[in-house]
Amino acid sequence: MQEPFRAAASHEAKGGGEIAVTVRNVGMDFDGVQAVKNASFDLPKGRFLTILGPSGSGKTTLLRMIAGFQTPSSGEIFINGEAVSAVPPHKRSIGMVFQRLALFPHMTAAENVAFPLKMRRRDARTIPDRVERYLALVRLGGYGGRRIHELSGGQQQRVAIARALVFEPDLLLLDEPLAALDRKLREEMQLEFRRIQRELGVTTINVTHDQREALVVSDDIVVMDQGEIQQKARPIHTYRQPRNAFVANFIGVTNFIAGTVRAVSEAGDVSILRGDLMLAGKIGDPVNPPAEGDKASGAIRAEQIRLAGDAAQLSKLDCMLAGTVTDTIFEGERMVYEVACAAIGDEVIRVFDHDPAAHTQFDIGESVFLGWNARDMLVFR
Amino acid sequence: MRAARTAYPLTWRIMDALEGVAAAIWPARFRRATPYLMLLPAVLLVGLLVLGLIQIADASLRTLDTTTFQFSDDYSTANFRRALTEPLFLVVAQRSLVAALIVTAVTLVFAFPYAYLMVRTRSPGLRKFLLIALFLPFFIGQVVRAYGWLIILGNQGMVNEALGLVGVAPMRLIYNYPAVLFGLVQYMLPFAVLMLAPALTAIPEELEAAAGSLGANWVRTFIHVVLPLARPGFIGAGVVVLTLSLTDFAVPAILGGGSHDFIANAIYDQFFRTSDQGLGAMLALMLVALGSILVGLVFALFGAGTLAMGRSRV
Ligand SMILES: Nc1ncnc2c1ncn2[C@@H]1O[C@H](COP(=O)(O)OP(=O)(O)OP(=O)(O)O)[C@@H](O)[C@H]1O
Ligand SMILES: [Mg+2]
Repeated sequence: MQEPFRAAASHEAKGGGEIAVTVRNVGMDFDGVQAVKNASFDLPKGRFLTILGPSGSGKTTLLRMIAGFQTPSSGEIFINGEAVSAVPPHKRSIGMVFQRLALFPHMTAAENVAFPLKMRRRDARTIPDRVERYLALVRLGGYGGRRIHELSGGQQQRVAIARALVFEPDLLLLDEPLAALDRKLREEMQLEFRRIQRELGVTTINVTHDQREALVVSDDIVVMDQGEIQQKARPIHTYRQPRNAFVANFIGVTNFIAGTVRAVSEAGDVSILRGDLMLAGKIGDPVNPPAEGDKASGAIRAEQIRLAGDAAQLSKLDCMLAGTVTDTIFEGERMVYEVACAAIGDEVIRVFDHDPAAHTQFDIGESVFLGWNARDMLVFR
Repeated sequence: MRAARTAYPLTWRIMDALEGVAAAIWPARFRRATPYLMLLPAVLLVGLLVLGLIQIADASLRTLDTTTFQFSDDYSTANFRRALTEPLFLVVAQRSLVAALIVTAVTLVFAFPYAYLMVRTRSPGLRKFLLIALFLPFFIGQVVRAYGWLIILGNQGMVNEALGLVGVAPMRLIYNYPAVLFGLVQYMLPFAVLMLAPALTAIPEELEAAAGSLGANWVRTFIHVVLPLARPGFIGAGVVVLTLSLTDFAVPAILGGGSHDFIANAIYDQFFRTSDQGLGAMLALMLVALGSILVGLVFALFGAGTLAMGRSRV
């Protein structure tokens, strides 16, 4: 497997730190609808970037502009340092896997994979070998003669990936190609993407609205909402240090407790007051910190809250709330409790309990205590 | 009890009653015959046509006695030999065939961009305009349209008048072969567009974008992706235009002015001018044969699944 891809590997080595794609102040207007607003980011060579956001947030539009199917209304996109707004798609070195795959139904799997090589007038004698090699890369060795409709969904997916990679593009774009697959296959293909991307070292931009996929496959995640980039960070930072309430809410299960800021310290500690309850937390967004008297909300993840039958068990934690279990939801690998807390006006707080032995610990209607550490609560304006 | 009755809507009860009646006159064990029963009207109509064809075949083998104007009682191949040997018929046949082929090719070339634009345009207004422009000629009818061309292209027609204004002597724009071809193409275009459009609609736009990102410019995208996938549409439109042109009557009659007859005009002459129904019938049969051979040839060359019949390959 190693030998045939030497070229690609050296390509990666050469690319250390170089910027493959720059998106600078890019905007897209569809007669009145601003699908993308002032988006900017850099993507170093060889990295795997995921654009994550809810439906309609402008992910596909941004991707299509990078691919060259749409021209930005404002701003500029650079690929390998060159502005590309005047370069048509077929002259950009970009492999794209489409949401609905867009395989050619009148060709076999091998003919599909050979298509970009033929269109780029590569030496005809080398084409069959190369096609076979890339089919093997996506674990479809020997399937080349099959017509597209004779392949399963996952196999078609892999043909599309092979077709996008076979001509060794500078950039691989993936537009939610896994969205239509069942969960098991999707998770398998996510790991497959990761393996192939690492093996070839090709710079990749992936679009998805599946947060798990983004966390699993990416080097970096760009979170988008309503056409605006909310945060660009490594997966672990996106999850642990969300920059605003949207990101905190979109990824993971997060509880928000609204209140008024009472004190802000140099070290980044914030206290917010909700009714008679004082909650301690940390500043979520240092660029846009809350000030005393502001309305703000404290965000706390469901898995960072401990649940106990009596208060003494939670004495080591900084914050504590009393409440009543209103619902229990069994999700297989975990139990989700919904707890209504009187101190915050009977708002419902969601808590995970990962301990399998504890599944039947609390019933609906039971009185419980919730506890967490102040450093886990992020306060956003 | 009463509540249950009102909850069961009247329309449902009517449907139940109808189904009951249907079951009484057409019991379940006859069900398998239902599809064949539905085929019956079509079979009957085609059957009538076949009867007519037998009648024509019978007539085609009888020769006309020009002194008595009676048809012979016994069969002979005299009409067949006349049709093949008389130079006039060969000229007419050749003219029709060549015209049909040219018209088919030109029409398909013209129809494709029209159909493509109609299917792919993002502007609903433009799509509606193109559709209406397509159907308008159907409302006008072939004969009126051909006369329209006479008015526009005739010796004192609008084109010649306009040319006269800039000092060009009047030209003979009608009663020649190109005029007939022109009229036919104009007549066939809507048919071809209507048959191409569904084939193009069936091609996902994303395939063309994909071809682009894989390195194909629009010419190669057209050749390698659009054309092969639109093939059923092209074959269907081609067969329709070919057969309609080959058998056309009005356009050569009006725009050809009698000097550029097609086979159908020759048949008409035999039936209604010389009253030699035997020869007319023979010519008609030969036209049917010629058309069938052409269509058969197309299917043999491009495969029977080309009319998007049978199972879809997509
Ligand atoms: N061609 C277009 N014309 C007009 N509006 C468009 C067009 N394409 C996208 N939009 C609008 O731009 C916004 C962003 O669309 P986009 O397709 O980029 O969303 P997305 O993030 O890819 O969503 P999804 O996850 O559902 O695919 C949407 O509000 C959409 O309606
Ligand atoms: Mg999308």
